[in-house]
Amino acid sequence: MRTHLTRAHSSFGGIATVVLLLASAPHAAFAQNAERDKPSGPAPVHDLWGMWAGPNEGLLSNRVPMMTPAGRAKLDANIPDPFSASSNDPWKTCDPFGMPRGVNNQYGLFGFAQMPGRIIILNAFNRTWREVWMDGRKVPQNIGHEGGPSAMYNGYSVGHWEGDNTLVVETVGMDERTWMDRRGYPHSVDAKVTERYTRIDFDHVSMTETVDDPAYYTQNPFLFAKQDYRLVANQVNLNAPIPFTSDRLCIPSQASDYLKLIGVPADIDSATGQKK
Amino acid sequence: MTMRFTPALFFVAMVALGGVAYAHHGSASYRQEPTTLKGVVTRVNWGNPHTLLFFDYKDAKGEVQHWVAEANAASTISTTGWTKTAIKDGDTVTVVFYAAKNGQTVGRVGKVVLADGREFGDGSLIGDRPSVCDDEFTTGGNEAAACRPGGRITNNDQQR
Repeated sequence: MRTHLTRAHSSFGGIATVVLLLASAPHAAFAQNAERDKPSGPAPVHDLWGMWAGPNEGLLSNRVPMMTPAGRAKLDANIPDPFSASSNDPWKTCDPFGMPRGVNNQYGLFGFAQMPGRIIILNAFNRTWREVWMDGRKVPQNIGHEGGPSAMYNGYSVGHWEGDNTLVVETVGMDERTWMDRRGYPHSVDAKVTERYTRIDFDHVSMTETVDDPAYYTQNPFLFAKQDYRLVANQVNLNAPIPFTSDRLCIPSQASDYLKLIGVPADIDSATGQKK
Repeated sequence: MTMRFTPALFFVAMVALGGVAYAHHGSASYRQEPTTLKGVVTRVNWGNPHTLLFFDYKDAKGEVQHWVAEANAASTISTTGWTKTAIKDGDTVTVVFYAAKNGQTVGRVGKVVLADGREFGDGSLIGDRPSVCDDEFTTGGNEAAACRPGGRITNNDQQR
């Protein structure tokens, strides 16, 4: 037991160190590797280290397969648009995006921190992180069902490299309260999500997000979202007026004020067709 | 309510903003023609999801209108030099904005010009781009209202 605790404590210390390195001293952290600072070149092998930037919103498929009756009922109950009073989007109250939404909504600046046995994916939005186990461990069975472990907002993620330049992340056990995207697509607790990050060259990564959820969708798996990102060469926010990453936070009290002061008076509900 | 629309101003605003104002949240609630009002700042809610600029405008009859205009998220407008302390209560500002279609005294900031000539815009993130809503993919924001109900098309819809 002691060994287990010590290891867990040590692991958290490792994560905290990496987060601190990325957040507080990016130049120092990367100055040691001149290769990383080259403006272009071939993709290094099994290496996604650093921060990546792109559009805040992923490109979401308009070809989502036919849904099962259970899935359709969930979709109909989800009313999108966090800026309108009638919405029940978790974003409206700054609830966690979790997975799979976390990588297709407000994912415009994120990073990979690689360490032995795992990769940490850091998201500048809400300054959150998730862990992807690379040490060959298996995800638990029966998550979210009687006798199994609880589902989690970010699920349980394991990963592996495919060839030299593609990181494949497989996630299961995602809490059903999370939406799949800002449009309100639902997922069941048995859904499996696969992210593929392909480093095309030194500066570019292409991401796809694939969903496998027979409980809610009739053709599986299917491509759900994709987006391209560029390496942030100096490891800070691309367009920041000062070289530090700025806050991108969802703050409940401010979100509530926004609705009261703008969302309702401007009647965003009617303008977007939420209210007839 | 007095609003001044001029073609020249519209043109200048469109060039200056590059259409950014239309690419973000809730744009469908606002007129596409900019309004320009000179007023006095009463409060700034610096933050998220959008920064709010409160200002009072005195119309031709001397009546005061209380306006609230939303700019982008704090991190986004920071890129135009706008900081939490850059605009203070009592400052006189000229606000170019897009007023709500429903006539309420709320709107969407295009840019804010201070008395000393400094200008702060709505900002845009590098990498951001206008919504797409083609056959295959969409960015899915409510700014893509034109895509509705295609905001979430499924094969179930196509079968109907």
